[in-house]
Amino acid sequence: MNEKQMKEGIELIDAHFKGEGISRRDAMKLFGTSGAAALLATGATTTPIQASDAKGKIVIVGGGLAGMSTAARLTNSLDNPDITVIEPGDISTSYQPGQTLVGGGIWEKSALVYNTDDFVPSGVTIIKEKAVEFDPEKNTVTTASGKKVGYDYLIVAAGLKLDFGKIEGLGITETITSTGDHRAVSKIVGKKGITSIYFQEGSKDTWTQMQKFIAEAKSGKKVKGLFTHPNTPIKCGGAPKKIMYLTDARLREAGARDNAELTFYPNGSKMFGVSEYHNAIQRQFETRDIKWNYRHNLVAVDTEKKVATFNKHWKQKGAWDEDLEEYGVELKNEKVEVPFDFLHITPPMKAAEEIGSSPIGSSKGWVPVNKETLQHVKYPNVFALGDIAAVPMGKTGGSARKQYKVVVDNVIAMMEGKSELPSKYAGYTVCPLITSIGTVMLAEFNWTKKPTPSFPLDPTQERWIWWLLKVYALKPMTQYGMLSGRA
Amino acid sequence: MKKFNLILLSVGAIFALTGCNDGPTGEKITYSKTVKEVYAQSCKKCHGADASGNTKKKAPALNDRQAGELELDLYDVKNGGTNQSSGTEHDIMEHNMKKLIEKGFDYDPKAMAQYIEKSFFKMPSKEVAETPAKTEAPATQEDNTTK
Repeated sequence: MNEKQMKEGIELIDAHFKGEGISRRDAMKLFGTSGAAALLATGATTTPIQASDAKGKIVIVGGGLAGMSTAARLTNSLDNPDITVIEPGDISTSYQPGQTLVGGGIWEKSALVYNTDDFVPSGVTIIKEKAVEFDPEKNTVTTASGKKVGYDYLIVAAGLKLDFGKIEGLGITETITSTGDHRAVSKIVGKKGITSIYFQEGSKDTWTQMQKFIAEAKSGKKVKGLFTHPNTPIKCGGAPKKIMYLTDARLREAGARDNAELTFYPNGSKMFGVSEYHNAIQRQFETRDIKWNYRHNLVAVDTEKKVATFNKHWKQKGAWDEDLEEYGVELKNEKVEVPFDFLHITPPMKAAEEIGSSPIGSSKGWVPVNKETLQHVKYPNVFALGDIAAVPMGKTGGSARKQYKVVVDNVIAMMEGKSELPSKYAGYTVCPLITSIGTVMLAEFNWTKKPTPSFPLDPTQERWIWWLLKVYALKPMTQYGMLSGRA
Repeated sequence: MKKFNLILLSVGAIFALTGCNDGPTGEKITYSKTVKEVYAQSCKKCHGADASGNTKKKAPALNDRQAGELELDLYDVKNGGTNQSSGTEHDIMEHNMKKLIEKGFDYDPKAMAQYIEKSFFKMPSKEVAETPAKTEAPATQEDNTTK
């Protein structure tokens, strides 16, 4: 960091505290000086939790960030909690947002791995099995070993599966999660220039492959890097771009950027749903000489010849539509083959089959909920949050951080027999878009599709202070804030 | 490094404690037609008087989902996809919707989803079990203010 950046940071902080009517010095005293972790763990200024004496058996399916945070907050909020978490994974609670940083060689993989056991709130029963059957009429869930678990309230936070099998030529048939056993995929993805940061093992391999790619460029060879974005909803919508920005930064660092061509291939036709951020990102691409081709969906990879095949699709003027009183559109598509030296795959994603096709699932697989109350559209005593919930834009840790409090408030209100669900989710999502080593654009937004910045600053600017937030502060915030159910 | 720690601590603190304001929850938009009028004058032409769809026009049924689920689709149609760069699976309707909005057939997705459920929803025959009849009369919907 340099003096100018430091000054910008200090000025921002002073301005903020001045707005709050306290000096920086007093604020620091107030927060204590024992480090961010302690500060964030105090939860001093978050809403105090009123303990409720409501009773009911709560079953949570999934022990990732969303599920465990919900379990913790329910434990804090109930006098007599009766909570069971069904989670087969040993490291399911791991810190997924760090996978980008591992892929870019900034963190070690070990920094991401959390043991699920360390985050089970005291008093919570954990069943280390997979939930395989859902009977919301009888209020039961059945585990892989055939154990029937009854509930009064069911909270589904089972995350999502990475479906590399949809891409032909990789020879992968199994779906995987971000943490856990990755052998089915990592035998292919993570080797020979084919990478993905979307799973823990893959993030480590991405850094190995990226270094080879950079070495090739440095040796004078003209190389090509491709970065994909699929046609399904994905977790962390910014990661496909972040890893590309980090590749760009590492190439520049090595003085080899001129020898590499980097291209982004998204299925969609936008960089971002919020036009302010869309424009900012296009400018960032142009500044860095990163190319993009919209409406390209990765469908196949030839791992030997190193060729990626995309389904290129577009709309063209169709026949006159009498009902519309306009010309309609026709959809066209063709296959496009692109050779590569380095390929970063963002795989198609879906809900686990056993949930998607169960009575609580939907034709699209995700668990359909009211997008504000997060209550199931059919079963009032079922809620869903996190990656598996069919909520627009909501598949980030930042959304989960808002959602878990909504679910807890609403479940407790139901347990207390209230007819209204008091808490509503407004669609808040945050994407700390890493744009280089040392800068981040903090894209905060909600369903109004307008930037909703937490700070009085132009949210479309790349800033060093957000880099600090991403690299140093967010991890303790999830670890000590969310996973303890406080913030 | 004192300054560094100070900045770090403050940025984290501001974001964690005061940060993440929920922001505006939506501007009040007034629509020129009620959802009932929009359905009768426009949607009906392709999706049918009972919302059962029309395969010839590639118009899917709208009467097989409850409001919560339907709202997400309507939201996607009106926004051209809801994920950063994933695109939409409603490419054709996205185009049509743009044209229809120009012609004054705009609506609030939530109110429209509730109207369609209330008027046309058919419970799949297999599971006639109890389901929450949580449809409220759309009288309170903000888009019903015909102006």
